[in-house]
Order: sequence, then structure tokens, then C-alpha cells
Amino acid sequence: MPTFVYMTRCDGCGHCVDICPSDIMHIDPTLRRAYNIEPNMCWECYSCVKACPMDAIDVRGYADFAPLGHSVRVKRDEEKGVIAWRIKSRNGETDLNLLAPITTKPWGTAIPQLKDEAAPTQEARDSQLLFNEPKYIRMDEGDIHTLESNGLKMKAGVYY
Amino acid sequence: MAYKTIVEDNIDILVAGAGLGGTGAAFEARYWGQDKKIVIAEKANIDRSGAVAQGLYAINCYMGTRFGENNPEDHVRYARIDLMGMVREDLLFDMARHVDSTVHQFEEWGLPIMRDPKSGAYQREGRWQIMIHGESYKPIVAEAAKKSADKVFNRICVTHLLMDDAKENRVAGAVGFNVRTGNYHVFKAKTVIVGAGGASNIFRPRSVGEGAGRVWYAPWSSGSAYGLMIQAGVKMTQMENRIVLARFKDGYGPVGAYFLHLKTYTQNAYGEEYESKWFPELQKMVGKEYLDPEVSRVVEFGLDYADGRFSLSPRIYYNLVDDYIQGTPLGAMHSQPKGSDSGEAAAPWVV
Amino acid sequence: MFTVNPFAELSGVIPPIAMQIYVILMAILVAVGTILDTLHKKSAQYFFENSEKQKKMASREVSGGEKVGIAVKTVAVDVLTSAEFCNQKRRVAHLLTMYGFILFVVSTAVMIFGYADSANAAAWPFLWHLGALMVCVGGYWFWFVIRVDVAAEGNPWYRVVRADLFILALLATTTFALLWSVFGAIFFFVLFIAAATVLFGTVFWSKFAHMFFKPAAAFQKRVTKADGSMENLPEIPDLSDPAVHKRYPDIPEYLGKNPPNMGLGIKRETPNHY
Repeated sequence: MPTFVYMTRCDGCGHCVDICPSDIMHIDPTLRRAYNIEPNMCWECYSCVKACPMDAIDVRGYADFAPLGHSVRVKRDEEKGVIAWRIKSRNGETDLNLLAPITTKPWGTAIPQLKDEAAPTQEARDSQLLFNEPKYIRMDEGDIHTLESNGLKMKAGVYY
Repeated sequence: MAYKTIVEDNIDILVAGAGLGGTGAAFEARYWGQDKKIVIAEKANIDRSGAVAQGLYAINCYMGTRFGENNPEDHVRYARIDLMGMVREDLLFDMARHVDSTVHQFEEWGLPIMRDPKSGAYQREGRWQIMIHGESYKPIVAEAAKKSADKVFNRICVTHLLMDDAKENRVAGAVGFNVRTGNYHVFKAKTVIVGAGGASNIFRPRSVGEGAGRVWYAPWSSGSAYGLMIQAGVKMTQMENRIVLARFKDGYGPVGAYFLHLKTYTQNAYGEEYESKWFPELQKMVGKEYLDPEVSRVVEFGLDYADGRFSLSPRIYYNLVDDYIQGTPLGAMHSQPKGSDSGEAAAPWVV
Repeated sequence: MFTVNPFAELSGVIPPIAMQIYVILMAILVAVGTILDTLHKKSAQYFFENSEKQKKMASREVSGGEKVGIAVKTVAVDVLTSAEFCNQKRRVAHLLTMYGFILFVVSTAVMIFGYADSANAAAWPFLWHLGALMVCVGGYWFWFVIRVDVAAEGNPWYRVVRADLFILALLATTTFALLWSVFGAIFFFVLFIAAATVLFGTVFWSKFAHMFFKPAAAFQKRVTKADGSMENLPEIPDLSDPAVHKRYPDIPEYLGKNPPNMGLGIKRETPNHY
């Protein structure tokens, strides 16, 4: 169910080439535009579709049973923080629009630079806690779960 | 055309593979490592790499201790049933008790996690699954890794771990190549964290036609994590586990949300609802205290029940389609609901 | 030097009428090459079928007058300011090359037809040199740095493929033209003419014809926005609209009633991560 590029819309910017997790979006040596070099390895993750600033990439169903005419297109807007989908069926009965948020905070801003956080104490290093624990486990003053705290006993070996 | 050899030295922590696991490891390493040199080597682009590249609409393993929902030992019991007793309970318990803090951190970073309007807790689809608007799940976590690492090498496929000449049984770095330029990269590091992901297509999948080779899991999960480590002499565990998943025919898409929202079940070729048929045998395998069907809770999340029928609220319907789309847009292309209140849709499966 | 008509000195060796015939011949080659390319790629058929498909999906009718307005806008914005490029470096490089080429070609024609044997040709020699220089600056910048197969795909700058035929022929033309003007050697002139002939003669095989196809595509894209077909793309509505909040309650719930600008994430960086 691979992606394909509308060559009249592609301007060879390289965003799809840069983002593809499967490394199958490349530049055609005759046209210098993007194309999918290996449809078999396409996972239809839509990373290239979302990355294309010209909306030049689309996805089709598998050729052996999905006739053309359907359409599942997407627009991902980072500044607005939303993703919009539009699903059209082949017989024209369905034209569904979807809109969902993709982030609640401006990108990268709510993540701490851990070098600037207070260094972990030796006690923390010797413990079994991760960063921000135990507070973030329950978002309260409780401690990390252990076998003792939960009233459990470990039985060694395989049984039953 | 000559390929260059590029050496990166004096690395304290090398993270090989920056999917959701590796990126999290880089972030965590920065806290404990403070000023240490942390380098990431990723074979694709860190912003959209790994199995969660396209996004997810659920987090499949959240305890919810803070809402009084599950404890880590509940997860251990669940996994033990699922894997018929062949589990490392200690590893499961440890993973389960930390997962909640990770999820809370994601929410703080900007991941929209859906809330149940009535209880204020995270919106559950089932006992273990919570719903999220996760289209940018990976980009958000990648931001954390990019902030934490000193250098991020994209498009470098790590192929071998390097062993230390001086010290026995000690990993001293890794080598790989740039999938674009072909250059050879050598990383000399004091520690290596391998986050290179799982493996799909170890066994031939059932997909056919133009979709042959298509699987539900990421096709670029090529088993590097196992390969790198087995070669270095690492002791592996739980390698007897295989996932053989029932997925939608031709769409090969995720089924979790579908199952949980629409209360579906799987039927074998004889028309049997086979899961409960095997409970007695399973109980013998894992022990009665782990599996007691009489006291299993029936969970009703996200569905309204009236006039003898389940129906989906528009909000859940939209989120369900959103989830379907994130998992595989092909499913959206093929599956035409016969009318959303017919309740008669039977989806064909392929295993 | 830059204000002297280089063709004037040449007219002693080559009669002006020969130069003029050459220019006309090049123009014919471009026309023929473009037409053959259009027929071979079936571009006209594609654009026609595309616009038919579009009309079926349209939600409103676009009048003839509106279409003229759109065409004007296409020329003014997409063509004259190369607005399609969102990366500003690419845009600047393209503007340099585009206007440089136009200046160069127009001033060549004017000098050969209008000032064939006079060294003084008003501002045209200056424009000729300026145009060639602009093409060189934009073109070499593009060749070494900006080309997507180099910038995003990791190929070395010296890798040559068929897609490079146009830019290489163009750069050869203007580089040898400048060298000829500066040094006067007939050797550079021969190379200049050879490169120019390759440039205009290989239109069928090169990317030359993009200058005709791209405006047509840009026009069609604008019409899809005007007639509501939007090429089946979803439209992102105004996120502070209460109607949107009603249909998609998760929008105000997670983004607030007046969502802030979230800034850029993946798009912050240029696509050259390798």
C-alpha cells in the first residue's frame, strides 16, 4: 500500500527523503523529484506524506485488490498543533473529516535540560529510582513499588 | 569512489538505535550522567524512527496506580497468563513499576493523553490500555533525546559492537555505516545502550499479493538489537517468545482499540470463541491464583449501552477511526462500515 | 569590459545574419523540444484529465473571470517571486538563476538583432554580463550545496545524472560566455556556443521544460483551492471557532479555546540529517 509522488507538485525539497524511516523515499535521477524506490518496504506510516510542504505525496491501496478512487489524505500543521485527515470512499458516499490535537505544548519547550537539574544524590544513585521518581509514579508522596511494599514474595525457579 | 572512515571518540554513553526506547534511554542517561558525552546513532531519522514512527493512539501498558487502577503485580499476572507461565516475573515487575512515571512525563512534555470526563482519570479502553492523541508521540520523545544527547548521528546503521581489547567481556563501542554515503563510522564508547528494536519477518507472514511481506510491526525492525548483542556474547532471555498476531485481512492494521471499543472476539475456523475454551488448560499451566475466570472483571469503557445494544459516542467513533488511521490508513480505505449502528460488521482476519 | 558588446567584435569573423539565424534556431529547438516533451510525457493530457477530475470534486463553480484573476496571481506570485519554495535559500538561488537567465537571453537577442556590429549597445552589455553572473552565482550555489540529491540524499557534488543535464549546460553556457567576454579567446566562444546548443537542443531530455510545466501546475493548484476540491486534502479549520469545538471536543480540551502557536518541531531544521 505504498506512497507515490505527484510529480507536478513535487519541487524536490527533500523533506520526505530526510524523514522516511524505511529509507525508501529517494530522488529520481532523471527528474530530480522524489519517488518511492521500494513499495514493498513501505509501511504507509505517512511520515513522508505529513512532511511534504507541497502535499505532493499520496498513498494508494494494494494493486491486487484495491481499485483506485479512494483517498486518505492528511495535513499535519505543527504550528497549529493539529492533524487533519480526510477519508473519501470510492463510491463517493463517505467524505469524513477528522481533526485531532498532536501536542499540548509548544514543541520541545516543556522538556527539561537535565544537565541543569540538580545532580542526583549518591542515595538516589544507589536506589532503584529513575529520574523524577518516586514522585512521578503516583504523582504523590508514595514510594516506589517493591515486593515488600506490595506484600509479595518471590518464588525462585519455574513451577506449575 | 572511496568511503571515508569517521571515528567518534571519548564517548561515555553510546545509544545505538533511537526508537522510543533509545530516545528515552538517552534522556535518562543525561540525568545520571550529568556532563558525560552522550552520542546517539540511529539508522533512520530520529524524529520518525522505530515502530512508533507514525504515531500511536494508545499506550498499551499503563498501570494507573495513581488512580487506584492496577499495581505492577497485576501486570505480572496478566503477562504470565498471556505467555502461559514462561515469563521473567522479576523483569516484568520492574518494568511495570516504572512505566507510570514515564507516561506522566510524556504528558508533561506535551503528549495529549485523553481523560475520562466522568472520573478525571486517563480514558481507558481496557484494563491496560489508555487512549492518547499520539500522532506525534515519537517526535515529542525525540525532542527530549535531541536535548539530552551531545550528538545525534542520523542514518547510521550500527552493525557490530566492539569488544575491549584490554578488558575481557567488555563492550567498548560500536561500528556502523552511513546508509546514504556509505561511510564507515566507528564509535568508541565506555558504555553502549542498545535500543535497536524488535524483529519482524523472522517468520514468513501470511500477507499476499502486492502486500506480500507486509506485517503489522515495523518492517524496518530488523532484529538489530538481538543481532548486535548475541554477537557480543550477551546472555539473552525470553527468546522463546514469538508474537503471532491476528490482524485485519489486507489491512494488517492494529486491532487493540477495535477489540476493546467494539467488544469483539476472535473466532477460529470452526466458529469457536476459542479463548475461553482454553481457560482450564491455561489455569493448569499458570496456576489458579493467576487465572480465575470466575472473578475476571468485565470492563466496559468507552461504550454506551442502551436498548440492548452498544453504540459509540461520536467522540469515541472519531477517536476510533483516528486510531485506525494511525495504525494503518489502508484499513480506512477498505473497511466501509455498513452503517455505524448495524453492529453486524464482521472483520475477516489473517494470522 | 562589462559595458562593451562582445558580439560586436565577433561580427568581424561571423556575419551578424549568421548569429541571428542561430538565435532563431535555438528558439525553434526550445519550442520543438517542449512540444515533443509534452507529447511524450502526455503532460497536456494529464493536465486536462486532472482538471476534469477536479471539476467533479468541486464544491463551487469558478467563473472565467475568476480564472483570469487566478492566472494573473499565479504569474505575479508563483512565477515572478518563485513562491513555491518554502526554503528561503532555495528560493533566492532560483530567483537568481531565473532572472539571470532571462536577462542573459533577452540581452543576447537584443544585442545580436539590434546592435550587431556596434560595441556600444546602451545598457545591454551590462545586463548581459549581470545576467550571466547571476546565473553563475545561483547555479553554482545550487550545484554544490542546494541540489536535493546532495543536500538530503548524501550524494557527492560531483555525481552527475541525467537530471543535471539542464543545470550543467546552463552553467557551462554562462561560464564560458563570461570567460569569452573577459579573455576574448575564440576557444571560449566555441565552448560557449557548444554549451548553448546543448542547452537548447536537449530540451526533450532535460529539465528545461519545467519552466513551462510548473506555472501550469501552480495555476491548477490555485484553482483547486478556489473551487473547493482541494485535491481531496482536508482543510484545517479555524481552531477558535465554536463550531469546530463542538464537532471536535478534543481540540479545545487539549489546545484550549484559543490555541497558541506551537512553533516548529520537525520542520525547524533543514532536511539534511545524514
